[in-house]
Amino acid sequence: MEYDYYILFNTHTDGLVLAKKLKENNIKYTIVPTPRQLSKSCGIAIKYEHEDEKAILDIIDKHEIKILAMHSLERKNMEIKFI
Amino acid sequence: MADYRELWQKLGMDLEKHDVLCEVLPQLYGGVYLSQENRPEGMNYYNFVVAEVHGLRIKELDDHKKEGGKVVGTFCVFVPDELILAAGAIGVGLCAGSQFWIEDGEKVLPRNICPLVKAFMGAKLSGTCPYFQSCDMIIGETTCDAKKKAWEILDDYVDTYVMDLPQMKREKDHKKWAEEIYDLKEKLEKLTGNTITEEKLHEAIKLCNRKRIALQRLYNARKALDVPISGKDALLISQIAFYDNPERFIEMTNKLCDELEERIEKGISVNKKGDKRILISGTPMAVPNWKMHHIVENSGAVVVAEETCTGTRYFENLVDESPTTMDGMINALADRYLKINCACFTPNKGREEDIIRLAKEYKADGVIYNCLQFCHTYNIEYTNVEKALKEAGIPVLFIESDYSNDDVGQIQTRVEAFLEMLG
Repeated sequence: MEYDYYILFNTHTDGLVLAKKLKENNIKYTIVPTPRQLSKSCGIAIKYEHEDEKAILDIIDKHEIKILAMHSLERKNMEIKFI
Repeated sequence: MADYRELWQKLGMDLEKHDVLCEVLPQLYGGVYLSQENRPEGMNYYNFVVAEVHGLRIKELDDHKKEGGKVVGTFCVFVPDELILAAGAIGVGLCAGSQFWIEDGEKVLPRNICPLVKAFMGAKLSGTCPYFQSCDMIIGETTCDAKKKAWEILDDYVDTYVMDLPQMKREKDHKKWAEEIYDLKEKLEKLTGNTITEEKLHEAIKLCNRKRIALQRLYNARKALDVPISGKDALLISQIAFYDNPERFIEMTNKLCDELEERIEKGISVNKKGDKRILISGTPMAVPNWKMHHIVENSGAVVVAEETCTGTRYFENLVDESPTTMDGMINALADRYLKINCACFTPNKGREEDIIRLAKEYKADGVIYNCLQFCHTYNIEYTNVEKALKEAGIPVLFIESDYSNDDVGQIQTRVEAFLEMLG
């Protein structure tokens, strides 16, 4: 089974602070809408590669960036339904 | 997580119904957008805007309103944003691109009219679009019969002002359109309590031109043989241009263009050698209508440009910045906006010329003429467009569709056959 990895935030500003630091450190990331399975609130999450997790945690610690949680979700090929 | 429920409640939204929309959007976006490979890093900004689509920007509108500012909604590229900005208001191009709103629209509208009109009505009636709910006034226009009559109904729910767009492009039509722009100026001054001064209007003209230039730069990058960005990403950027903060949008789009130009230099591309290049021409594609682009780009082709209101019609031609008097600027606005070749005009030879020119500029292998169901003007105009393209030796495929999922398989088959025919 393959997994995708996400970081959730209290506010989008925290997410943007982390995104900026990841970019400075050349760590690959994608800003994504928070997957519904992880939270019912709208807003941003950051999707990252599992192998970068330690480096990301170091950055979060070093810069005291507030995060809400880190999650993994099983990757599924979901059917696209236009709405 | 940011909780915007209180704000949505204040806007009189139907939270339960809105939640249904919130539930399906991330999955659709994930499937259409996030599944793409080799996307430019700069797309992170637009991912952010989509993730916060009913959050951050709505909060910004709310902050503006708390300070006495007004929010004005529009549905058409003929409505001059410059005046809205010069009046100190915020303009938002409303979406109306989802099947989700059709049912509610059909409560007050006939079924056999275009999905865009039914969707905007449904969005308002169902109270599920926070942009619509934030609007103090809607500026409609007379680009089709369905819209023209729908404004009368919409006015019962939100103050709706209608600009009478001429349907021909003679000298007297030009004069009439300039008068309409003057009338809108007065209406906006009354709504906002602010005077549109020559200085403010000139600043707004320059700002809107800068936005057009940023979009022109984005589209120019798509002319490269190694296309640095997918058609669906470019479409998303155009869609976001209609409601994002203009300064921030210009800054982020120019940053993305820096990256795209770098990708072109390095030969980094989203398409494979031999992928067919498609120009899409036709009716507007409002958020979250990504259907046709997704089908085309999932069939081994790349969309290189859109001759649509959510494409070139939105940003081609700048407003002349040299006039500084009110009369001069209003005339310059009338000039620029009347250059848009919409199918509501007769005759509309200019649109045929635009499509042929764009097909050449973007080195398109073929054109897909995408028409919303029941859009009579674009539907009828296809006959002459097809003839002109045939004479120019450009293959074209006609697709008529709505926002639903029902015909995706059928369209996919037709698109694949068309691409195969292109060789």
